[in-house]
Amino acid sequence: MDALTLVQLLLNATALGAAYALVALGFVLVINATGAVNFAHGDLVMAGGFLSVALAGALPLPGIVLLPVVAALMALLGLALSAAAYLPLRNRPPVSVFISTIAVGVMLQNGANAIFGAAPRGGPPLAGDGALSLGGLALDRQSAAVIVAAAILLAATHLLLTHTQLGKRMRATAQDPEMACALGVRTGRMVALTFALAAALAGTAGLLLSNRYFVTPAEGGSLMLKAYIAVVIGGWGRIGGAVIGAFLIALFESVIAAFLSQPVAEAALYAVLLIVLFVRPGGILGEVEGRRA
Amino acid sequence: MNRVLRAAAVATTLLSSIPLAASAENVRIPVLVPITGILALEGTSQRNGAVMALDEKPSGIEAGYDVTDTAASPETAVNALERALSQPNVVAVAASIFGPQMLAMMPIAAERKVPLITISGTAKITEMGNAYVFRFFPTDAVVKVAQARYVVEELKKTRVALVYQTTAYGQSGQAHLTDNFKRLGAQIVFEEGLAPTVKDMAPVLAKLKAANPDVIVLQLHSGPTALFVKQAAGLNLPIVAGSAMHQPSTAALLEPAELKGVCAESGSSPISGGSPTMEKFTAAYRAKFNAEPDAFAVAQYDGTRMVLDAIGKGARNAAQVRDVLATGSYEGLAMTYKSDGTGNMAHDAVIVCYDGSSRVPKIVKRYAAR
Repeated sequence: MDALTLVQLLLNATALGAAYALVALGFVLVINATGAVNFAHGDLVMAGGFLSVALAGALPLPGIVLLPVVAALMALLGLALSAAAYLPLRNRPPVSVFISTIAVGVMLQNGANAIFGAAPRGGPPLAGDGALSLGGLALDRQSAAVIVAAAILLAATHLLLTHTQLGKRMRATAQDPEMACALGVRTGRMVALTFALAAALAGTAGLLLSNRYFVTPAEGGSLMLKAYIAVVIGGWGRIGGAVIGAFLIALFESVIAAFLSQPVAEAALYAVLLIVLFVRPGGILGEVEGRRA
Repeated sequence: MNRVLRAAAVATTLLSSIPLAASAENVRIPVLVPITGILALEGTSQRNGAVMALDEKPSGIEAGYDVTDTAASPETAVNALERALSQPNVVAVAASIFGPQMLAMMPIAAERKVPLITISGTAKITEMGNAYVFRFFPTDAVVKVAQARYVVEELKKTRVALVYQTTAYGQSGQAHLTDNFKRLGAQIVFEEGLAPTVKDMAPVLAKLKAANPDVIVLQLHSGPTALFVKQAAGLNLPIVAGSAMHQPSTAALLEPAELKGVCAESGSSPISGGSPTMEKFTAAYRAKFNAEPDAFAVAQYDGTRMVLDAIGKGARNAAQVRDVLATGSYEGLAMTYKSDGTGNMAHDAVIVCYDGSSRVPKIVKRYAAR
C-alpha cells in the first residue's frame, strides 16, 4: 500500500472518528450526570438521522442550516427522555434506568420503522457534493464538513462545561449531586439539561453520518456498542477518553481493516479492548471514581 | 326413541370430529412476516405482496387474514404461527422470509399439515424433506448461476473481486458464486467478507484495487450495497451485484450517474415492466402502498395467488391446497412456478442493469434453470 493511499485512509478515519466522537461524548455526559448507562443513545443518533431526512424533505435547505434545527429538536427529545425514563427512576437501582432506556430505544426504533419504513435513507449533505483535491488526495466535501463541524461542536461542548455557569453546575451535579444540591444547584434540572445536550450531540452525529453512510431504523444498536467501547477504552466517565476511544474505533475500521480483513480488524479491536482492560482496567485515561453504576 | 336419540348423538359426535372442508368464503391465510428487525425491509415487501393478492379477491375468493410481525426471533415466529393455527379454516400461511424463523416454524406446519408459502432464501428449508414448505423466490442455486454466467459469458470478465456479507445470506451466495466461477473458468483474484455494520468501504476498495480485477461481484444487503457502489464509483469497474441492488430502495440512495455500469441478479424486476400484467401490478402497488415494488413483493404475491387459484379451483382445506402446490403449476407475474419435488417453486432469474440515466434498471438477460 502506498503512502498516498494510507493518508487517504487516515483522512477517512478522521471523518468517521469525528462523528463517532460526538456519539461517545453524549454517551459519557449522561454516564457522568446519572451514573447510569443510557441504552437509548444509539437510537438517538438514529433518530437524529431520520429527523434530518424528514427536515430535508420538507425544507430544501443544506444540512449546515438544518443542523441547529436538528440539534434543538433532539434536545427536546432528550428532555422528554429524561422525564420519562430517568427522573421518575433516579432513586431506584441503576438497572431500572437501564431497562427504561432500553425500552425507549426500542420505541424509537419501531417508531422510525413505522414512520419512515425499513429501507436505508440518505440525509442531506452538510456542504454540497464533490471532493477537495489536496496534493493527490481526495477528501470529499462531506467528510471535510463532518470533521470541521465535529471539531466545532466538541470545542463548544468543552467551553460550555468549563467556562460557563451552566456547565459548572452540570459538572458539579455530575461530580457530587448531594453537595451540588446543598449549594442550591437544581440537580434534577441539570440532569435533564445533560440529557438534552447528549441528545443534541447524538442527533448532530446522526445528521453527519446519514448523508455519507445512510441511516436505518435498526442501526442504533451498533452505534450504542461503539460508544460503549469508546468509553471503556478511553476511561469510564472521561470525556477526553471517550473521544480518544471513538477515534481508535474509526482507526481500526478505516485503516487497520486495510491491512487485515474487516472481520479480523474488528476482532483486533476487541483484542485491544481486552488488553486495555487487563493492563489498565480503568481505561487509557483512567476511570472517574464513583461513575460506574 | 332412546335408541334413536343415542344414534343421533353418536352421529353428531362423529361428524363433529371430522374436519369439515371450509367454503371458499371463509378460508384464512394468515400473513406472518418480519416487519421490524433485521429483515424489515424485505419483510415489508413480503407483507405487501401477500396483502395485495389477498385484497384483490381473485375470482371472488375472500380469504380472511391477519398480518403478524414476526420481528427477528424464531420464538416470536413460532408463537405467531401457533396463534394463527388456533383459528379455524387456515388453508396456508404466508410465512417469514427470515430463514431461522422458517426453520423453527416448519415442524409445526408439518405436524398441523398446513403449507407455508415463503420467499426465504435459506437453502436448508427445502432440503429437510418437509412437504409443507413452498418457496416462491429462486434460491442461490438459481440466481448465483445467473450472476456468474452473466459476468463470464456476457461481460467476458474473468478476474473477479468478490465482496460478500458475513451473514448467512452472504456466505450462502459466496459459496455458490465461488463454485460457479470455478466451473466457468473465471478466477477470483480478491475476496473479502464484510459485517453489515461496516460504514467505510475505503479499506476493502484499496485492497481490491491492488488485486487488479476486471469486475466486482457483490453479495451484500441493501444499505452496504449502496455504500459500496457509491464509494467504488471512482474505480470504473463493472459491478454485478446481488438481488439487493435491484430493490428500488437501494437505487434511491444513489444518483443515476453512480449506477452506470451496475447490474444485479434478481427473481424479477417489477419496476422494469416487461408485460402489461406486471405494469398493472406495479401501478396498483404504488397506489396502495406509496412505494416501489421489488422482486420479493412479486414473489410473495405470486405465491399467495397460487394458493387462491387453488381455492378457486376447488381446494377447500390445507391438505388439498398443499397437493395443488406440490403437483400443479402456476403462471405468475414473474415466471411459471412449479415444485421441483422439494418445494422450490421458482426456477428463473433475470439480470438487470442501470444505464446511468435513471434509477429504473432494464432487464438485459433472462436465465431459466430448467
